Amino acid sequence: MSNIRCRPWPMRQKLRALRQAKEIVLKYEGRLTRTRGYQAAGAELWKKFIRLAYNFVVIFIPWEMRIKKIESHFGSGVASYFIFLRWLFGINIVLTIMTGAFVVLPELLAGAPFGSTVSKTIPKENIASAQDLDTIWSLGGYLQYSVLFYGYYGRDRKIGKAGYRLPLAYFLVGMAVFAYSFIILLKKMAKNSRMSLASASDENYTFCWRLFCAWDYLIGNPEAAESKAAAIVNSIREAILEEQEKKKSKNLAVTISLRIIANILVLLSLAGSIYIIYFVVDRSQRLERTKKELTLWEKNEVSVVVSLITMIAPSAFELVAALEMYHPRTTLRFQLARVLVLYLGNLYSLIIALLDKVDSMSVTDSDVNNNASNSTISLATNALSKDGNLTIPNVQIKRNGFVTLEEHRTQGLTDSLVNQTIYFNTQNPQDQCWETYVGQEMLKLSIIDMIFTVASILLIDFFRGLCVRYLSDCWCWDLESKFPEYGEFKIAENVLHLVYNQGMIWMGAFFSPCLPAFNVLKLIGLMYLRSWAVLTCNVPHQQVFRASRSNNFYLAMLLFMLFLCMLPTIFAIARYKPSLSCGPFSGQEKIYDIVSETIQNDFPTWFNTVITYISSPVVVLPALLLLFMLIYYLQSIARSLKFTNNQLRMKIQTERTEDKKKVVQMAVARIQNLDANDKRPEQETDIISQESSVWSSTPRKNGSVLNFESPVSKGTRIQTISQSVPQAVPTSDVVRPANTTPTASTSLTPAPSVSSVQKPRNDHITNRYPSVVHRSASELCKTKPYTPVTFKKHTEDVHSDPLFRKAIRQVNSDALGAGAPVFLGCRPYATRYFLVNENESRKKSLRSTSRLQRHFRKEESGDIIELYPRHIRRYVVRTPHQMYSPHPSEDEEDEEELEKEFMNRSHRPRSLSDLHPASRFYIGDHADGHILMSKDLGRVHYKSWDDGFEQDLDRPPYAYKKVHLNYPEPRVKPKSKQKLEQSLTESDSISIESSSDPQNSSNDQYIQVIHTKDKYPKTGGKVTKKKSKNSVDLSMSEPSELVCSNV
Amino acid sequence: MPSEQAGFFVKRKISHKIQLYNVYSSTYSLLRDQNTLLHGRYHEMAPNVVPMDYTKDPDVKLPMQLIINMPELKENPFKERIVESFSEDGEGSLSFNDFVDMFSVLSEMAPRELKAIYAFKIYDFNTDNFICKADLEKTLNKLTREELTAEEITLVCEKVIEEADMDGDGKLGFADFENMISKAPDFLRYYF
Repeated sequence: MSNIRCRPWPMRQKLRALRQAKEIVLKYEGRLTRTRGYQAAGAELWKKFIRLAYNFVVIFIPWEMRIKKIESHFGSGVASYFIFLRWLFGINIVLTIMTGAFVVLPELLAGAPFGSTVSKTIPKENIASAQDLDTIWSLGGYLQYSVLFYGYYGRDRKIGKAGYRLPLAYFLVGMAVFAYSFIILLKKMAKNSRMSLASASDENYTFCWRLFCAWDYLIGNPEAAESKAAAIVNSIREAILEEQEKKKSKNLAVTISLRIIANILVLLSLAGSIYIIYFVVDRSQRLERTKKELTLWEKNEVSVVVSLITMIAPSAFELVAALEMYHPRTTLRFQLARVLVLYLGNLYSLIIALLDKVDSMSVTDSDVNNNASNSTISLATNALSKDGNLTIPNVQIKRNGFVTLEEHRTQGLTDSLVNQTIYFNTQNPQDQCWETYVGQEMLKLSIIDMIFTVASILLIDFFRGLCVRYLSDCWCWDLESKFPEYGEFKIAENVLHLVYNQGMIWMGAFFSPCLPAFNVLKLIGLMYLRSWAVLTCNVPHQQVFRASRSNNFYLAMLLFMLFLCMLPTIFAIARYKPSLSCGPFSGQEKIYDIVSETIQNDFPTWFNTVITYISSPVVVLPALLLLFMLIYYLQSIARSLKFTNNQLRMKIQTERTEDKKKVVQMAVARIQNLDANDKRPEQETDIISQESSVWSSTPRKNGSVLNFESPVSKGTRIQTISQSVPQAVPTSDVVRPANTTPTASTSLTPAPSVSSVQKPRNDHITNRYPSVVHRSASELCKTKPYTPVTFKKHTEDVHSDPLFRKAIRQVNSDALGAGAPVFLGCRPYATRYFLVNENESRKKSLRSTSRLQRHFRKEESGDIIELYPRHIRRYVVRTPHQMYSPHPSEDEEDEEELEKEFMNRSHRPRSLSDLHPASRFYIGDHADGHILMSKDLGRVHYKSWDDGFEQDLDRPPYAYKKVHLNYPEPRVKPKSKQKLEQSLTESDSISIESSSDPQNSSNDQYIQVIHTKDKYPKTGGKVTKKKSKNSVDLSMSEPSELVCSNV
Repeated sequence: MPSEQAGFFVKRKISHKIQLYNVYSSTYSLLRDQNTLLHGRYHEMAPNVVPMDYTKDPDVKLPMQLIINMPELKENPFKERIVESFSEDGEGSLSFNDFVDMFSVLSEMAPRELKAIYAFKIYDFNTDNFICKADLEKTLNKLTREELTAEEITLVCEKVIEEADMDGDGKLGFADFENMISKAPDFLRYYF
């Protein structure tokens, strides 16, 4: 019933079919359906629920709608930026939660309150200026002494009632941020590459799918429809672009030289920008050292310059990239890579400058330490480092120590000692907190970056857009299409900007736990601003191209960035001593000491020993080695998989092309078939005639034996031929008897007798008839030429004649009942024929239609005229024949006949051999060529022929030999007599009844035997035909073998 | 993947409706109420023409103009073709049976093969049982609202035929079409 749904019927038809089906089902199935119904309903409900849940979830995917809208208008490339932005947003949220929940909140809730310790109070000198915009701008004042930065966190090992280990948590969270970022990045990349692998194979139908599968049939509102249409246009353009890129002819010399030039330019600009940054950083450091009061510009010089460079340089790169003439996607990648290098240069010059500063700071710290250990003030400093509670005298002492040390240290330097000391004197001990300083710098950078982004969006995109839009009317040239134009969305820059931004976050996250939180806000703002800007002020890129589906390139850059950003942080953590006066790790030699300390103090001793073992080189080195081996192993596996993957893909490709070829061939063959149909008939007729000539030839050798009997023998022979040989000619002949009898009877002689006469004979022919009936289709064509007028009727008769068939059945069963063993032997035989014939007939019928006419015209045109008279003649001749024949009596003596049959059967081995002699007879006839005369005689002779048959029975060996001799003959035989032959056989077939009926008992045997006999010439004829039909030939040879075995 | 659209929610809602209506052909007896729902839709489009009582199987047909204004079809660029290919007379007027037929095919529960058959019908504008270049051009123009240039259109048409035409006759027969469609990953999801 469910199948009905799959049918492309109109509903009315379906309904009818369904009604019928349902009746049947109701009849047989009963109540079973009810439970089925409940199940179906349940499944339906569940489906609906899933869908609802999915809808619900979709609402919570942030900015989904926005991104889709952008994608539809600006293509997948631009959308990929926003998707990437969203993904980063997700990461930052997680980072925020991590730092917020484990570091910031505990500190706020359980840590010492603001102002309780020195590290948490603003120094007195600064209180006055703590709320100035200037200080806040440089993240000093209150901001500096807040949870934003490392310095604020207390150094108590445990805080709160529950004993939360804040320092440990701080360290672990700092590391976890990196670890999480790494893991999530790698996971995403792996997933993406999987996806790209999976989807890479179906690139074969890009255009088709874009065309036929593009429309979303569920779209119902006009806005969506519009954007969908825009999206389709875009996607088609993308595909076109890809196609054009493939075609693009390349002038290699020019492009290569251009590319070289471009790369040189890019390198120059990179070097220039890096030098500028370095210069600026250097200058600012000098300024910081030399000047007491820095102006606003001097303070922010570095970040401004850096931001400016990052803004300008990519545009320059883009100009250069236009020279290169790469595929847009490749261009994008190059652009990305270059800008990344630029950014990295910026970042690293910044980092180096920072570390420089940190270095100087920590050097002073260590100097203090050295001093402390050596000098008399050691007690005080020890106290300082232990308590963290700096009293003024202590500070005083410390400062003194500082100064002196500084003096010592900088004695060699030409720099003014005074300035240096002043510089350090102006610093508070808390200011020595380099971690806070790094955090401040990072946050500052991030903020400035944000401001610049907003400014550039407003200036470059929005105002430009406004100007272009509203001034173009009163300007002297077309602003919209010429110089300023509307801004385009620059994917490369923007993506890199995101990467860069994220890098800063990672770098600063350890020193400024709130940086991720800040970044979340920033990203949200960026998302809205960008998307708004894109939709309002930008025009789609003129060349819309498909973003690589996986966007793994972005991720790879991000990963690279993460690694590079992690390095300095880790370096700082590992290399520098934490500041003495601030932060959770103050007083420790190294930051990571907190871990070993915790392990030592708070874990059982066995754990400690285990850890020491594990961290010993004995374990670490082999573990490292193992890791390398593992990596190598996995790598090789991946390589081999890739290889096989490629191979498989190639296989698919070749198969596809082969398929295509095959289909084309088939189509061509079909066409040729149509053409060839005209030719083929000739071929076939040749074959036919050959076969017929075979008949004629074989007998020839023994031609002399029984010449007169020709008509009778011929008739039977033909019959048998038809049985054994499903080939066209014989079969057609076989049908003849069946066909002709009724027609003949109706037209010429009163028929009743015929049918009755047939009955007895059916015994013997049972095997044969099914095949005959089935073959009739193929015969259509064959017979047509000869008897064009009555032909249709004939075949119908064959099929419809119930009496005839019934008789067959009946007798068949009778025979079965009586002589089962014998018949069984024959039966399979028959069925096999039947199969073969069917195949044959199908092929034939295909060709038949076109062949008919030609055949007819060419060969028969002359003969037919001859034929007709013959037919008539023969009928006339035959009918009396039948009357005479002993049939009637046999009709009554069915039993007897059966017995006879048995007798014959038992003789079969012998009879087989007999056949050959039988075949010999005919040959003689053919030699005569004209049966007409002998026909009349046939009746008379047939008794004598029977006698001859008996005689033959007595000498089987001889016959065998004969048969063998006969094989080659047919092939060699010239075709001179073909025409005559054919006409003869045809006419003869009509006489089959007359000839076969009387023979009765012997007839059966005869048929069987001749069966086998005929096969030989047949196969011989086949050989010639082989070229065209191998299969048929095979099938033919099989039965012949069977016969032999029977024998 | 350039696929889903901004009309995300709208789309889902509508698909709900369609899902409700569709099942007529599959589970007649069980879900007769859905059938009546569908009939309600049919009725409300032309209340004075369509009788409420359908037991006598009256011969009523609605003109195309009414049907293509249904919210489900309104925005569809192929709405005329859809209606035409489902109408028994080929003119675009639908009897109730045709109407139900249409919904059952457009529903997401309809099997892929069936959808392919009707999709082919829809894209075959001149109903010659082949999707030839003219059909492709029409499809493209409807799909893109004639935003592509002539060269682009010819290029796309050539590419499509090159890709999908297996027997090299320069047009797509149903076998070609089905073969192509069957390999499309999101055909079922987005098509119909």
